[in-house]
Amino acid sequence: MGGGPAGLAAAVQLKKSGVDNILVIEREKHLGGILRQCIHDGFGLTRFGESLSGPEYAQRFIDEADRYGVESVADSTVIDIAPDKTVIAASRHGLSIYEAQAVILTMGCRERTRGALSIPGSRPAGIYTAGVAQSYINIKNLMIGKRIIILGSGDIGMIMARRLTLEGGQVLGVFEIQPYPSGLPRNIQQCLNDYDIPLYLNRTVSDVHGKSRLEGVTVSQVDEKLQPIPGSEQFYACDTLILSVGLIPENELSRKAGVRLDLRTKGGIVDENFQTSTPGIFAAGNVLHVHDLVDFVSLEAERLAAGVVRYLHQELPACDIEIQPQGLTHTIPQLISGNRDVELFFRVTRPVSQAVVELWQGDKKLTAKRLPKAIPAEMMHITLPASELINKLPVKAVVVNA
Amino acid sequence: MHKQITCILCPNGCEIQCEYVDGAILSVQGNKCNKGQVYFQQELTDPRRSIASLVKVNGGELPLVSVRVTAPIPREMIFPVVAEIKKQELDAPVHLGQIVIANVLGLGCDVIATKNVSIG
Amino acid sequence: MMVKTYDAIIIGGGVVGSAIARELSRYQLDIAVLEKENDVCCATSGHNSGVLHAGYNNRPGSKMARLCVAGNAGFDQVAAELDIPFRRTGKLVIGFDGDDLRQLKRLKQQGQDNGCRGLCIVGRDRIKELIPDVQGEYALYSPNTGVLDPFQLTIGLAENAHHNGVRYLFGQQVTAIRRQEGLYHIQTTRGWFVSRWVINSAGLYSDRIANMLGVEGYQINPCRGEYFILDQRIGYLLPLPAYPVPNEHSGGLGIHLTPTVDGNIMIGPSADYIDQRDDYAVTRPVMDMLLEEGSRIFPLLRREHFIRNFAGIRPKLTGPGCGGFHDFVIECAPQAPNTVNLIGIESPGLTASTPIAREVVQLIGERERLEEKCDFDPLRRRPPRLRELSVDEQQQMIRENPDYGQVICRCELISKAEVMAAINNPLGVRTMTGIKYRCRSMMGRCQGGYCQTRIAEMLLEKQGGAYDQLLYHHDGSNLFYGRVR
Repeated sequence: MGGGPAGLAAAVQLKKSGVDNILVIEREKHLGGILRQCIHDGFGLTRFGESLSGPEYAQRFIDEADRYGVESVADSTVIDIAPDKTVIAASRHGLSIYEAQAVILTMGCRERTRGALSIPGSRPAGIYTAGVAQSYINIKNLMIGKRIIILGSGDIGMIMARRLTLEGGQVLGVFEIQPYPSGLPRNIQQCLNDYDIPLYLNRTVSDVHGKSRLEGVTVSQVDEKLQPIPGSEQFYACDTLILSVGLIPENELSRKAGVRLDLRTKGGIVDENFQTSTPGIFAAGNVLHVHDLVDFVSLEAERLAAGVVRYLHQELPACDIEIQPQGLTHTIPQLISGNRDVELFFRVTRPVSQAVVELWQGDKKLTAKRLPKAIPAEMMHITLPASELINKLPVKAVVVNA
Repeated sequence: MHKQITCILCPNGCEIQCEYVDGAILSVQGNKCNKGQVYFQQELTDPRRSIASLVKVNGGELPLVSVRVTAPIPREMIFPVVAEIKKQELDAPVHLGQIVIANVLGLGCDVIATKNVSIG
Repeated sequence: MMVKTYDAIIIGGGVVGSAIARELSRYQLDIAVLEKENDVCCATSGHNSGVLHAGYNNRPGSKMARLCVAGNAGFDQVAAELDIPFRRTGKLVIGFDGDDLRQLKRLKQQGQDNGCRGLCIVGRDRIKELIPDVQGEYALYSPNTGVLDPFQLTIGLAENAHHNGVRYLFGQQVTAIRRQEGLYHIQTTRGWFVSRWVINSAGLYSDRIANMLGVEGYQINPCRGEYFILDQRIGYLLPLPAYPVPNEHSGGLGIHLTPTVDGNIMIGPSADYIDQRDDYAVTRPVMDMLLEEGSRIFPLLRREHFIRNFAGIRPKLTGPGCGGFHDFVIECAPQAPNTVNLIGIESPGLTASTPIAREVVQLIGERERLEEKCDFDPLRRRPPRLRELSVDEQQQMIRENPDYGQVICRCELISKAEVMAAINNPLGVRTMTGIKYRCRSMMGRCQGGYCQTRIAEMLLEKQGGAYDQLLYHHDGSNLFYGRVR
């Protein structure tokens, strides 16, 4: 479900593994997912050794899907899915009801909204989440503002800072609530510093002004609890506020299928095969946990495909060893069998340097990996060696200072 | 002259303090390896960037096609190149990889389309 | 050029103005509604709890009480005629101690005095039965209270009035009124109009319109109430409205919990007198308070369940610090012949809207002969909603109209057919918010993250592609500054 980078990579890998009867259901007219509006480069450095734009990266997989004869249906929206893997999709041609042995969830994510942040103030026009702004500009050919403030230093916010500047907008600043930036250092350099766009940390928008169209925002400094500090308010006159304040995996359909979600990732709880709590339903990509590099999305989807193949051959062992993160936001997967080595993906909760990530089971340290420098913006990984496991007790994944 | 650069070549992201004069590096502090040397040299003397932009499409299923330069261009040429790109108009169909501007502003790289746009 | 003389001009197209328009359109009259905003439910009518009140909260003998009870009784018919989403859920007013119980009994008596039916005091067990997740020792159960969609009610009344010949004119803010040779000459920001009757249902500005008519002495005091809207996913926690007993000692109103007819939960409103009549800002202190209260009542609540907040402004005739009660003002003032002034129509104005309108018709009917139309059509239908159909019905619907198969709003499952119907609405409203009110797109948890760009594109196409004409809500709320290329 979903023909973006995750769905396409999974489909191609399945075909390569001899699974033939596959359908990719895509709600847009074209395959490619969110990459179609990410016109900047930086995609594919690991995967292809080239710096491609989003649409080009997507096209590589679309072309391969074509080569392998992957069947897809576009302009179709899945409107229901049951735990028995019956999927109902709606299109202009009618409802299609599909029965599947396995369902792969690759629906991506949605953006956190102003309402979800409860930003005080009036509700004028001119407040856009970064992805919506990106779609208006790059796809719909509509310019959304002139004097812009960006809340959130996530990658997409910084990318839009550059995009807006190149299209003649004046970006007054990027404001980040944490004491460190949320996005990758490369974007700080190439999207902000290059254009003299200031980045302010420990800040948030505490009020919005304007009745019809935005007239300005009040920015406050925040304390260590991320609460606005009274007296620190500063007014910025602007006509556009871009919100880049988080992505949320889009799991409304997953819930319908009975998939249990991880409260931290907002995505499914999966095992080393990327199978969710509902047998035969798998998840990868942004719908599972938000990625920063699409190259890792493709890798993850390919691992999922291997899991699906095992499932179809009834070769999936029980995965009942839990991974418990400490000092990490989460790990994917959350459950393992213990029968084979597993690559655990994680993010640190705050920037660390000269740290070590360690895997423990009870009193035994299974393995460790040095982290000279780790930031929440960058997904990291560590290999869990199955041979070191002594029992079925939970494995703790902790970050410690070296 | 003094400059601080964050090296972007690997996730370490070392914060580098550079002393340089007339484009020659005098000293480098804060780095954990020497891979960044070429990068700093480039950054100090001739910083280069990749640029993506949009070109109007006539008669296509989409109003715009995304484009990018095929090689990084000098940072100070970003706006002039974008200005050249803004002048272009293409008729559908547009093919991924199609050269929109050859040797843009004599910089030795092209501007290519990065998406297919069929006739609308 | 001959200027048309209307029989009646209604100033203010909110729920009351539109109810009046509809009731008057039963008669052979030339009627126009002058609305200052770009749509009908932009002010108080579009910012409220959406509750059909039973009437026990109103002072016996008042117009508020009488018209509320009548509105409650008659709403099944109105909802059926106008296809308004409505559920008669019942309601609990919840208390904890002896003082509360006394209050509840007084409320029950007051309700019975007002003509409410079925009110009864219930205990802990019944409360638990009705709303398992809420605490309480005693409660007043009101079986006739309900929840409705206030946008659909206002729009439904307006569309039906329009269907029966009423002219709706938007962007017409009344700036001056002059009486000349028995007719009213009304100046607006866009032109001027002539009418025999003027009906002032201008809500937050009804005192100013009254002044223009020479009816002085009324002062509207804007009193803002902020709300939080919670995700439909936890809507199951609250099957019917639950309010705490108004606590005389603490002085506050307590936090109201109201389910919406679509399955969201609303927490609020607060009550703060403000200076500006159009200051719909939500404020940090109130949001923090609502968040805390909500979390206390529903410990299961998480931050991510709060999807949006908004504020409504009550047009109160009572002022800060003086408390007290002021009834609806619905009057024909002798110094302004052929006018009806409706001032201070705050809660239960939504519930009472049609009875208020009938009261206005009666006042006019006492002064001149009204001829009924034989072809008045009371019915108004919304297009079918994809999300409410069975799989077979959906299949059939898509066969007949493929636009039903194209999903535009993923969160609320709204099809292109419904969005197109909203865009092609009979009143000619073309704002993004207007489309939102009509088809619910952009009201879901992604708040338009997916559908907004698509709806903007569809609206632009309808308006001939002029990017600078696409408005979000008010005049000047342009979304776009130009084309990128």
